[in-house]
Amino acid sequence: MTRAQTVPITPTRERPGAPVTKPGGIGESTTRADGVPKVTGEFEYSSDLSMDGMLWGATLRSPHPHANIWSVDTSEAEAMPGVFAVLTHEDVPGRKVYGMEIPDQPVLAWERVRFQGEPVAVVAADHPETARLALEKISVEYEVLDPLVDAEEAIKEDAPKLHLSGNVLRHVRIEHGDVRDAAAEADVVVKGEYEVGMQDQAFLGPESGLAVPDGEGGVDLYISTQWLHVDRDQISESLGLPPEMVRLELSGIGGAFGGREDLSMQIHACLLALHTERPVKMVYNREESFYGHVHRHPAKMSYEHGATKSGELVYVKARFVLDGGAYASSSMAVCLNAATFACGPYKVPNAEVESYLAYTNNPPCGAMRGFGAVQACFGHESQMDKLAEALGMDPVELRVKNAIEPGDRFPFGQEVPPPAPVAEILERVKSMPMPEEKEAMGRDLRELPGGVSNTTHGEGVRRGVGYAVSFKNIGFSAGFDDYSTARVTLSIEDGEPLVRVHTAAAEVGQGLVTLQAQIARTELGVERVAVLQADTRVGSAGSTSASRQSYLTGGAVKKACEAVRERLFERVREELGEGLGDLSVENGNVVSGGEIVLPLSEVLDEEIEETVEYRHKPTYPPDENGQGDVHVQFAFAAHRAVVEVDVELGLVRVVELATAQDVGKAMNPQALEGQIEGGVAQGLGLALLEELQIKDGRIQNASFTDYLLPTTLDMPSVKMDILELADPEAPYGLKGVGEPPTISSTPAIVAALRDATGRELPRVPVKPEQIVGIAKKPPDEPPQPGSAGYAEVGRLDERREQ
Amino acid sequence: MPGYERAEVSAELTVVPSEHAGKPPREQVEAAKKAAGETGLAHEAGPETLVLAGGRREVLDATMEVIEASLDAGASAIEIKVEAEGDAPRFGG
Repeated sequence: MTRAQTVPITPTRERPGAPVTKPGGIGESTTRADGVPKVTGEFEYSSDLSMDGMLWGATLRSPHPHANIWSVDTSEAEAMPGVFAVLTHEDVPGRKVYGMEIPDQPVLAWERVRFQGEPVAVVAADHPETARLALEKISVEYEVLDPLVDAEEAIKEDAPKLHLSGNVLRHVRIEHGDVRDAAAEADVVVKGEYEVGMQDQAFLGPESGLAVPDGEGGVDLYISTQWLHVDRDQISESLGLPPEMVRLELSGIGGAFGGREDLSMQIHACLLALHTERPVKMVYNREESFYGHVHRHPAKMSYEHGATKSGELVYVKARFVLDGGAYASSSMAVCLNAATFACGPYKVPNAEVESYLAYTNNPPCGAMRGFGAVQACFGHESQMDKLAEALGMDPVELRVKNAIEPGDRFPFGQEVPPPAPVAEILERVKSMPMPEEKEAMGRDLRELPGGVSNTTHGEGVRRGVGYAVSFKNIGFSAGFDDYSTARVTLSIEDGEPLVRVHTAAAEVGQGLVTLQAQIARTELGVERVAVLQADTRVGSAGSTSASRQSYLTGGAVKKACEAVRERLFERVREELGEGLGDLSVENGNVVSGGEIVLPLSEVLDEEIEETVEYRHKPTYPPDENGQGDVHVQFAFAAHRAVVEVDVELGLVRVVELATAQDVGKAMNPQALEGQIEGGVAQGLGLALLEELQIKDGRIQNASFTDYLLPTTLDMPSVKMDILELADPEAPYGLKGVGEPPTISSTPAIVAALRDATGRELPRVPVKPEQIVGIAKKPPDEPPQPGSAGYAEVGRLDERREQ
Repeated sequence: MPGYERAEVSAELTVVPSEHAGKPPREQVEAAKKAAGETGLAHEAGPETLVLAGGRREVLDATMEVIEASLDAGASAIEIKVEAEGDAPRFGG
């Protein structure tokens, strides 16, 4: 199904040079090099890549969430002028499936499609519009099947199987103590059913990349991704090539949040490039992006908490059903995370947790910031508020009373490592000054729910305050060999010392490039640092996910710098003899006892280069009762939300979010603030706005018009109290910081809404109709004109009295 | 095989149907897939290909079951590729 229309060419692409920076040291706020170009529009994202002779790739996707494919006819598309290749599964030379944990997702579908948007064929053409028109000329004969869209239904034994071995992708059970006996000791029992909708990462830069054939059967891929080496391994398996013939280089990334951990267009672009022997660029548009990456798992959760009259937790029972969608992605790990975080950061002497992960015909779900802990946190924090209410206790007091401490054991059996300042962050966030509460009537409209939409002038506005606390594992867990590689070179260039740092770690906007430079600056005492573009010429850095890169790649860069420094000192000692005392490097000089021993320029006739791997301590899979040293590090955060609600219209203004978070060490305070503010914004989005609406397996709102994201108008000011309690196991004592801000900001906001409205609000995102009490969850059918009259929703004065 | 939670052993089986068997080629492949599905370890990996992944013993036992089912259905050959993870002992299967 290929026809090349030109003489094959062997393109080359000039490798961008690494800019030399002068970063601050560890602990100093250092402005990121990519900040200004991003703001001015000069930053080169992967979607901006271009080469002479480049073709454009496009993807034909299934319009059906579940269907058999009886035939695919590409002949008409192939005959179009300007079309260079039309490929189907028959053109995949290697493994026809891929996946991060389980290779179950077709590169291109063959007999069946399992979700709306599943790729069926790809086209390369000389213009993006030609490629799009060619897609329309491909004829696919489908037999449409009923989609299986309810995760609860999917895990039943008699459900139709979507995959050979059934629909239960994973089931994790945690047994801790004896819940049955403990239940008799509980004075108060609260039960709850909670639900989390399907949030999208909603990164601004769509999936994109440029594949360039090398003329010798291999391919170079310039790509926005979170994990270069695992991309490479999956691509090479499907191309039927050894990994060394597939080289990846990171391109400019416009956000990730987990959504780029899986492959999207990578294999397709490489297939097309190798078939056409031309560079092929693929860029998804916004709608396609929603079909092209995984989302946060929707979850249904059942909880039961038992406590003594004085508020000590006696037991927790929890049951999760997570919807994994059509393919596995990283669902196995999400299922485990949800189970291990189900009880919250509390002393729970007895627990019984069941976590199911189901295949359905919904869009595939996988990694997203918070990774299973987000869903669990909404459940356990909602329960803690419910329990506090049943006990007549202050919700923060109840949390503090049960706060887990170092030396305790989590319900999954692991001892809580220090530091674990759960009670401290709760008390700190509670003690922060509250925002001023102005008289609602007569305020500037921008300070009222609904803003300049002029929906209220203050009438019907109530204030609420809510708290939540969360914890999250940092790094990969459950026995994964988690490591990062760094290559550090110390040399003299242009007459001055220069450190070059080379890793495969993906900078996705979080500030990792700057952090690497800061570490090199600190460890080697050299002002000028160049961080090379991440690529697969150096060993794996692992994924930019699980809040792990500062720990793992930061640790690798530190270790490589130490190795370089040691070799430098060996050279100095060889040259000047022993007896120099303790050596250090300061401002480009080797120093001993405050005196300059040698300038680096006199020692570095030859550069010094070291490549090292850095690992955190091992973790282990849980046993059959869900017990084990599963995780390596835990990060804790607490949030307080202050909201104002128009209780008649269900409109919300988040007045302020306050947080206390233990970060171990604030490596770059400015970047840390950015991470916290960004994470809080994503948590606010899940609380109030962000949900992919899925009906019968079909996405209803695949656009930024209909998928609602918080903007600057929705974001309040964020008060932060940063604790630096060093983790003795971690480099510089640091803790990962990317995910915790997202996790408990959501339940804190919902708790504040409950405080303002008195409503149960068991589902996020909370919609206006829930806030005013029309429905507990969004309606299955969109409202029609005249369908929501007083007869159905009740008169306003009656609703007020409820 | 990349990923967070890699199986200790995986076996990729491609069924080569016979044109001369009693059952049509599609049914021969379906028989193999049905047997694979019943092992609880299987995923499809192509029109005639499936992957069994898990612990060493269970994958090898399952492989034999799929081979037997394929042969019983009339398949003329089963191509097999078995892979073990380099650090498989750490994962326990």
